[in-house]
Amino acid sequence: MSTDPRKLPIHADARHADVPLEEKQRLFDEVVADTRYHDTLYGCYECGICVAACPSARFYDFSPRVFAQTLARKDVHGFYELLVDSVWDCSQCFSCTRCPRQNSPGGLITIMREVAVNNGLQSAKDALAAYSRVIYKVMSTGTQVSPDMLQPDFFPDWGPDVQAVSDNLETWRRAIPTETLHTLELAWDVSEKTRVELFLIWKLTGNFDMIEKIDESSYLILEEIMEELLEEHGYDFDDIESII
Amino acid sequence: MPSIANCSIPDDLFYHVENNTWLRDCGNDVFELGMTDIAQSLAGAVIHCRIKKAGKGVKEGKSLATVESGKWVGPVKAPFACEIVERNEAVEQDASLLNKSPYERGWIARIKPADPAAARASLLDAASAVPGFEEYMKQHGITECTHCEGCDLP
Repeated sequence: MSTDPRKLPIHADARHADVPLEEKQRLFDEVVADTRYHDTLYGCYECGICVAACPSARFYDFSPRVFAQTLARKDVHGFYELLVDSVWDCSQCFSCTRCPRQNSPGGLITIMREVAVNNGLQSAKDALAAYSRVIYKVMSTGTQVSPDMLQPDFFPDWGPDVQAVSDNLETWRRAIPTETLHTLELAWDVSEKTRVELFLIWKLTGNFDMIEKIDESSYLILEEIMEELLEEHGYDFDDIESII
Repeated sequence: MPSIANCSIPDDLFYHVENNTWLRDCGNDVFELGMTDIAQSLAGAVIHCRIKKAGKGVKEGKSLATVESGKWVGPVKAPFACEIVERNEAVEQDASLLNKSPYERGWIARIKPADPAAARASLLDAASAVPGFEEYMKQHGITECTHCEGCDLP
């Protein structure tokens, strides 16, 4: 029998047996290599405080404790199961950071989600498919929840009220203080200078490249919006690094 | 007019199945382009459509317009390398035309292909496009097209 803990019979019923161990290990190593990793996991003695505090645990088959345990044990098979499934059930509220050992299961999940996105995993594409408008708004304007997102298609669970709101958006918007300048397509007014700075940040930090693997359509649109504005301001979009 | 599950596929147009767009030959190597009935159903109520300005060149597969609906945002891709001859200002002003009249008042742009002969050869007529659209609908889980109030489709 193998002495490699990752090949013990306990993993015989692990899901995703079709995915090579090496691939699971590569993704695991990518999570562990993140500079934030060692500030989020100090070992778990299963007190369950994180689970008791977790809103997602009340509604889904989800447990923040499982993340801390699985990663602490270096259980690569279990890690992969979490990476392609439960990792998207977390609401990222960080209630779990009340851990007496100073673990942050929510922080581990942040890192795992980034690894899932950076590797273009199908589960990440599926989880983010409904958020194309949010990605588009955030990356093209820096604002996320704009009034014109209040649409019956996007919030069917709000019932008939949302139809009434979207039909009279401009009127409702005027009831809110003038600081927002009553914008409809943006949460507030965003200057061109801010957008240029924002686009440079997305490009230079690699955030923009993350989108290409996860949502090709949004990438295509954003690439053209960013390229046009940055080139108007004298930046060579294909050689942004040269400005550093 | 061929139809799949309440989705209209007019006979007098050409189609690019993968991009879910239609094209009308306007003569003089100019094509009118828009979203199909299937595309508008998939998008749902469209609230913005931003189209590139006339004179802009667009490479094949790149975006010539951005469509934003209540639940989705996506590009309208150029089926071939082309130049935008004219954009539909009415759609820029009222993007719901894409839902109300996808094949007539909701045209998005008039484009001139860089290579007209190759462009014509790349397009499908309605009958040839139907199997591709059926497969597309299956892949995207579309059981039928939906039409908003005031839509000019039968």
